[in-house]
Amino acid sequence: MISKKYSFPLATLAVAVVAVAAVFVTDIQEASAHKEKHTADQMKAFDEVFMEEVRIGDLLFHGDGATEKKLKVKLSKTAMACAMCHPYASDTHPHEFPKFQEQMNEFVPLRDMINWCIEKPNEGEKIDPNGRAMKALEAYITWSNKNSKLDPGRH
Amino acid sequence: MSEHKLLQREVVKTLNPEGDRPDPSTIITRRTFLNRSLMGGAGLAAAGLFPTMSTIEMAFAQGGPSFKFAWVSDTHLYPKEVNTRFVDKTVRAFKEVQAMNPPADFMIFGGDLAQLGDPVEIRLGAELLKEVKIKKVFIPGEHDWYLDMGKTWNNTFGASPWFFDHKGVRFIGLDTVSRADDFWTSRKMSAVDRMGHMATLDGTLGGAWAGLGAEQLKWLSDTMASWGDKPTVIFSHNPLYEYYPNWNFWVRDWRAVHEILKPYSKVTNIHGHTHQVLYNEVGKMRSIGMLATSWPWPYAPEGVPILTKAMVRADPGDPFDGVGWATHSVSPTGRVENEYKMWRKDIFASAAVDDGTADNRNQILTPRIADRP
Repeated sequence: MISKKYSFPLATLAVAVVAVAAVFVTDIQEASAHKEKHTADQMKAFDEVFMEEVRIGDLLFHGDGATEKKLKVKLSKTAMACAMCHPYASDTHPHEFPKFQEQMNEFVPLRDMINWCIEKPNEGEKIDPNGRAMKALEAYITWSNKNSKLDPGRH
Repeated sequence: MSEHKLLQREVVKTLNPEGDRPDPSTIITRRTFLNRSLMGGAGLAAAGLFPTMSTIEMAFAQGGPSFKFAWVSDTHLYPKEVNTRFVDKTVRAFKEVQAMNPPADFMIFGGDLAQLGDPVEIRLGAELLKEVKIKKVFIPGEHDWYLDMGKTWNNTFGASPWFFDHKGVRFIGLDTVSRADDFWTSRKMSAVDRMGHMATLDGTLGGAWAGLGAEQLKWLSDTMASWGDKPTVIFSHNPLYEYYPNWNFWVRDWRAVHEILKPYSKVTNIHGHTHQVLYNEVGKMRSIGMLATSWPWPYAPEGVPILTKAMVRADPGDPFDGVGWATHSVSPTGRVENEYKMWRKDIFASAAVDDGTADNRNQILTPRIADRP
């Protein structure tokens, strides 16, 4: 038998549980209401959006002047392209970011290291961290390493 | 294990029968030559010392005379107004070769003098090479070739292959770069575009361009046969074994090369193109990879010879890092001594975290897509 001393808190708890559960169920139903099953066409479209960014990133990474001009970026003033030190995006290690980056003496995400490489070895102009060129470079670098083992923080 | 790795294992097993090693009578010591006296004042303060080439001392235990020769390659010159960094390193390399004391008997330039095969770049290289007054011999790299299909290169430095005999050693220079399959004609590609594709290490269209071809293989066979089993050094831009085909860290007909070389026990291949410390033995042939003056390539994702002790990770912020002095002893019997002595820090890492290959143990790469047909 439950003593009178605990009856109020237990009753309150029961009401709370029912209330939370109701909200939860409602939320799920609302979320579900907006989530239709994906069609093959949709999946293809999602992939195309991503791979187009990879393609643009690949061109930027390999020093394609027309793409740089189109995106209004100057990634190098030494004629060196990223791929000249990083064929297949080797040694870019996107799977290890964020991490403490020795050259910068700072804990940084990948995009900060990309900008460091543009500014230092390549003597180019730092790009907008949220701009199209950066997103494309990140897309290409991470796609190139898509089978690498996720290992954040590793030096 | 991937099909590629299985094939590599099978071929290595076939070409490396148990106990089959390079002949012990040839001792090779490899160092990077430095001459501080050439680097005074502001230049020294700004750039410090850096490695520029490898000198190779050869001594023959059976009584032959000792001598040195120098190797420089992979300068990748752009026109002066585009990139002075590579020009500065090239100038310094050639000054150091010329300052060797006692002087080297000759210098081999191992290809990729230019970056985009531009006659301006090749002429610049030829001008800088005037600093070196000793005998010079040349083999081409792909960067020297595919703008005008070797016309400027051959007119300036002469055609390959060639050989000469010097103090009991036959030196052979090969052309491993001029036989790419024609990917440009059907695409109506300009010479500049063709060169651009060939100058991209991880490009797709160039394909497996490195090779000797049937005619040169026959020439190599005859040239070896006429010399017999005596010390021979073969210079090539690409390594003469299969390391990583996707970046043409090989010659595509390397099996045929090794069939030709199989009877000979005193053959050393010295190559450029890979811009990194490499050592390998295939059958009785040893192979040594030379450093670039321009920049170091990362080790390929697979195929690094097990006999190679990897170089240290390069600092991307330091254009003079990734090359330097080191010591590499391959044979416990002392038959071959490869000694890198390079600038700034030890070339070999003592811990995996600093190692150019161990560092990438969690890295699996995917070939690029933007240049695929």
